[in-house]
Amino acid sequence: MPSACSLIPPVNPTVIVRDLTKVFYDDSRGELRAVDGINFDCRPGEIFGLLGANGAGKTTTLRMLATILKPTAGRATVMGHDLATAPEAVRRSLGFSSATTALYPRLTARETLDFFARINGCPAERVSARVEELIDRFGIGAYADVRVDRLSQGMKQKVAIARTVAHDPPVLIFDEPTVGLDVLNALDMQKLIAAFRDEGKTILFSTHIMSEAQKLCDRIAIIHQGRIHACDTLASLRAATGLYYLEDIFVHYVEQSRSQAGESPASTSCA
Amino acid sequence: MRLNWSTLATLYRTELRMVLRDRRLLLTSVVLPILVMPLMFLGSNWSLKKREAKLQSLACRYAVQGPEAEWVRDLMSRTRERLAAEPKGTNTAPFEFEEVACTNALAALEQGEIHVILEGGKTPAGAAGPAGEPAGPAAASRKPELRPRSNSAPAPLPRSLRLVFMGNHDESVTCAHRLQEALEATRRAERVALLLERGLPAPPDKIAAFSLVDVATPGQVAGVNLGRVLTLLLVLFMLTGGAVVALDSLAGEKERGTLETLLTTGATRLEIVVAKHLLIITVALGITLAQVANLLVYVGLKLVPVPGSLAAAVTPATGALLLVLLLPVAALASGILLLASGRARTYKEAQFYFFPLFLLGLVPAVAPLLPGLPLRSAVAIVPVANIAMGVREVLIGSFDWPMLALAWVTTAAAAAWTTRGVLGYLSAERLITSSERDEIEFLGGLPLFRRRVWAWFAVLWAVLLVVSSYLEKADLRLQLLVNLVGVFFLGSLLMLRTYRLDPRQALALRQPRPAVWLGVLFAVPGGMLAAIGAFHLLNFVIPVPPQVLEGFQQNVLPQDIPFVQLLFFLSVLPAFFEEIAFRGLLLHGLVGRFRPVTVAVLVGVVFGLFHLALFRFAPTACLGVMLAAVTLLTGSIYPAMLWHFLSNLGGVLAARFDIPLAHLDAGGYLAGAGILCAAFWILWRNRTPYPGLNAWRDTRPRASQTCNE
Repeated sequence: MPSACSLIPPVNPTVIVRDLTKVFYDDSRGELRAVDGINFDCRPGEIFGLLGANGAGKTTTLRMLATILKPTAGRATVMGHDLATAPEAVRRSLGFSSATTALYPRLTARETLDFFARINGCPAERVSARVEELIDRFGIGAYADVRVDRLSQGMKQKVAIARTVAHDPPVLIFDEPTVGLDVLNALDMQKLIAAFRDEGKTILFSTHIMSEAQKLCDRIAIIHQGRIHACDTLASLRAATGLYYLEDIFVHYVEQSRSQAGESPASTSCA
Repeated sequence: MRLNWSTLATLYRTELRMVLRDRRLLLTSVVLPILVMPLMFLGSNWSLKKREAKLQSLACRYAVQGPEAEWVRDLMSRTRERLAAEPKGTNTAPFEFEEVACTNALAALEQGEIHVILEGGKTPAGAAGPAGEPAGPAAASRKPELRPRSNSAPAPLPRSLRLVFMGNHDESVTCAHRLQEALEATRRAERVALLLERGLPAPPDKIAAFSLVDVATPGQVAGVNLGRVLTLLLVLFMLTGGAVVALDSLAGEKERGTLETLLTTGATRLEIVVAKHLLIITVALGITLAQVANLLVYVGLKLVPVPGSLAAAVTPATGALLLVLLLPVAALASGILLLASGRARTYKEAQFYFFPLFLLGLVPAVAPLLPGLPLRSAVAIVPVANIAMGVREVLIGSFDWPMLALAWVTTAAAAAWTTRGVLGYLSAERLITSSERDEIEFLGGLPLFRRRVWAWFAVLWAVLLVVSSYLEKADLRLQLLVNLVGVFFLGSLLMLRTYRLDPRQALALRQPRPAVWLGVLFAVPGGMLAAIGAFHLLNFVIPVPPQVLEGFQQNVLPQDIPFVQLLFFLSVLPAFFEEIAFRGLLLHGLVGRFRPVTVAVLVGVVFGLFHLALFRFAPTACLGVMLAAVTLLTGSIYPAMLWHFLSNLGGVLAARFDIPLAHLDAGGYLAGAGILCAAFWILWRNRTPYPGLNAWRDTRPRASQTCNE
C-alpha cells in the first residue's frame, strides 16, 4: 500500500554511527561512560538489534540517535542528517518508541495519530487519509475514538506503534517494545516490526530477550558496558563462536569482555 | 531558531484540548469557584445583615454602680429623653436600653446577663478605679471612658464615668459603643445649649469651621485604589490559575513519559515551550476572566459593593493600555511556573516549588502599596514591581511614557529570560536520565562560573538593593563600607572560592605595558566628559528634576565628613572593590562567551544598574564600558583601577570646588572626546589583550553541535 505521506527517499545506509560516546556525570557514581565509542551502520529493510543486559548502554544509544541525549563524542547520521547539526531533520526521519507506551491519556487514539502526524511534518491535507490508513492497518478502528486512558495495555501498545509510524518515517527505533506485554501481544508486536522491515524500513531494536533478538534481527550487536563486543548476523556469530544458542553466544562475549577488562579492549566495529 | 506556526498551532490546540478534558482542573479551577463564590457572598452577606439587624435591635442591659450612681442614672435619663425627642429616622433602629439591678455586676457581665457596667466616680480619668472598686477584667486595658460634667452646680471634684464591657462579646461591645456615643451626644447637646444660652452667637461647630477639599477626581481616587491591587490580583490569579496546568505541563509529562516522546518529534524545543507558555497564559487568563465575570455578576446584584467612580478610572483606552502593560507580567508568571515545572522531575516535586514561587511572585506586585515609592526610581527596572507601579500611575492619569516603556521592556525581558531558562531545561538531560549533572556542573571551575555569573550578579544586585534601602539614612561611610566590602568584596571572594578560580586569572592581576599608564592619564578627563555627555543625552529622554541632583550631591558630599576621608571612601575604595567585582569577576565570567565589544557593553550596563538610580545609570554605564574596554585591551585590572580612582577623585574635587564640568559648551565635550580617542589610540598601540578574548569564535560551532536546539 503506498504511503500517504512519504517524506524522505531512502538512502543507503540509513544510519551511520561512528565512535559514539556518552558520558554521564553523577555525584554518587562519578564519571560513567554509558556508551563508549561504538560504531555501526544500518541499512533499509534491515532489523538491527542491540542486545544487552540492563544498563549495557542500549537505551542511551537509541536516545542519542533520537536526539534526546547529546553525544559526548563521536558522530552519527540518520538518513544523511547529522545528529548535531540537523536534529530536527533527524527527528522527522525517524519514529521512536520508548519502553513505555507514553501516550497522552486524555486524547483518543485517532487524535493521538493526528497529532503525531502533524507535528512530524505530514502535510495537513494528507493527515486524515494517513490516520484512517493507520487505523485500518493496526486494527484499532473499534476503539479509535476512545480515550487512551480507557484502553488495555495491548491496545495502548498498538496505538503507540501506530503513533511511531504516523508520519511514515524511513527509520524506526524500538526500545524494548515487548516489555510488559503478554505472549500474544508480544507476538503481534514482533509481526508488526517484521512487516515494517518488509516495507523497506530501517529498524533499530533493543532488547534483552534472546529469543526475540534471535527471531527478529537480521544483524545483532552484543553490547556490554557501553561497548559493542560483537556485531554480525546470527549465522556468523554462531560460526565465530561455535555456539548455537544466542544466549550462549551472548554469555561468551560478555565473559570475554570481562576477562579483557584489564586490557581495555577496543569496541568491535559493525560498520 | 524559527517557529513553525502550523506545528505551534497543533501543539497548542492539542494541549488545550487535553486541559479542557481534565475534569479535575475544570472542577477545581472554574466550576467550584463559580459555584462557591455566590454561596460565599450570599452567605456572608446574609450573616452580616442578620448580625447587624440583631445588634441594631439589641436592648442594652446595663448595671449602674459606684459613688456617683445617681448622677449616672440622671445622665442616662436625660439621654433617653434626648433620643426620644430626636426626629424619627435619624437612627436606623431605636436605641433601647434598660437598667438591671445586680448584686455582683461584674459576674453578671461575665455571664452575659448584662452588657455594660456604668461606673460613676469622682476620680479623674486615667486614675485608679472609682471609689476604690476593682475595674472589670477588660476595662483596665481598654478604658472606654466618658467624662460628663454636670451643667448645674460645679462639682468639687470632676465626675467620671467608666463603661466596663466584655471585648469578646459582640453584644457587650456594641452596647458599650452605642452607649458611649449616646452619652457623648447628650453631653455635647447640653454644652451647645449652655453656650448658646450664655450668648455664643452660633453653635460652636459653625465657628472657625474647617473642611477638607479633595481636588482629585473621583476617578483618580478610585484609580489609585484599584492601581494598588490590580497587578497583585493578576499575579495572584495567574499563579493560582496557571499552576495546575503548568505543573502538569512539564513535570507531569516527565512522569508519564510523554515528554520523551514529544522531544523525539519534529517539533522544536522552542515550539514546545512557546505552545506551553501560550497554554498556561490562556488557561490562567481564562480562569481569571471567569472569576472576574463571576465577580461582576455579584457586583451587578449588589452583593459586592464597589465605588461608583471606578468606571471613570478605567476608560476603554486606559483598559487597552493596562492590558498591554500587564501582558509581560502574565508571560513572566507563566514562565516562572514553567521553570518550576521544568526543574522538577515529578508533579509532586513541582508542587514543592510552587508555594515559595507563589510568595516570591507576590512580593514585587505589592510595590504600589509602599508609600511614596515613585515609578521613576530603581523600581523601574524591577520586573513586575515596575509594571505594578506603572499600572497605578496610569490609573491616576499619569502617563510617564519613557518609564512605562522601560518597565514594559524590563518585565518582557525577564519573561523572555524565563522562556530561555525553560528551553535550557528541555535540553537538559536530567529530564530524561537519572544523571544529576552535566559535565560542566560535575567538573565545576571556570566553565560553571561562566554559566552562573549572571545569577550571581542578579543576587548581588538584589542584596545591594535591600541593603541600600535599609541603610538609606545611615552615615555615608557605613553605607559605602557595607556596599563595597560587604556586598562586592565578599561576593567576589565567595565566587572565587565556590568555583576555585585562580585570583590572578579571574582578577586579571597582570602588569600592563608602561605606556598604558600614560594612556589612562589621558583617558580620565575625556572619560569624565564622555560620562557627563551620556548623562545629558539620557536627560533629554528622562529629565531628572534638579532637586534630585541637589539631594544626591548633598548625600554624597556631606559637610560633616572630613574631606580626606571623603576622598578615601569615594575614590580609593570604589576603585578597588568595584573593579574586583566588575572588571575582575564579571568580566572574567563573560569573556569568551561574547564578542569583546558585547562584553564591554554588558559589563558597563551591569555596572550602571548597580548604581541603583536612574539618573546615575548613563554616566556610570558609560564609565563601566570604558573601564571594561581598557581591561580587555591591556589584559590587566590595574589600569581600570587607576582610571576609576582618578575619575572619582576628579568628580569629588569638581563637586567640592564648584568646577562646572556639567555645564561645558559643545567645544569642551568635543575636546574631551578627542582626548579620549587619543588615549584609546595609545592603549590600542600598547595592547596585551585579555587571555581568551576570542574564544567566542570557537564556541559558535560548538554550540551548533548540540542535539538540542
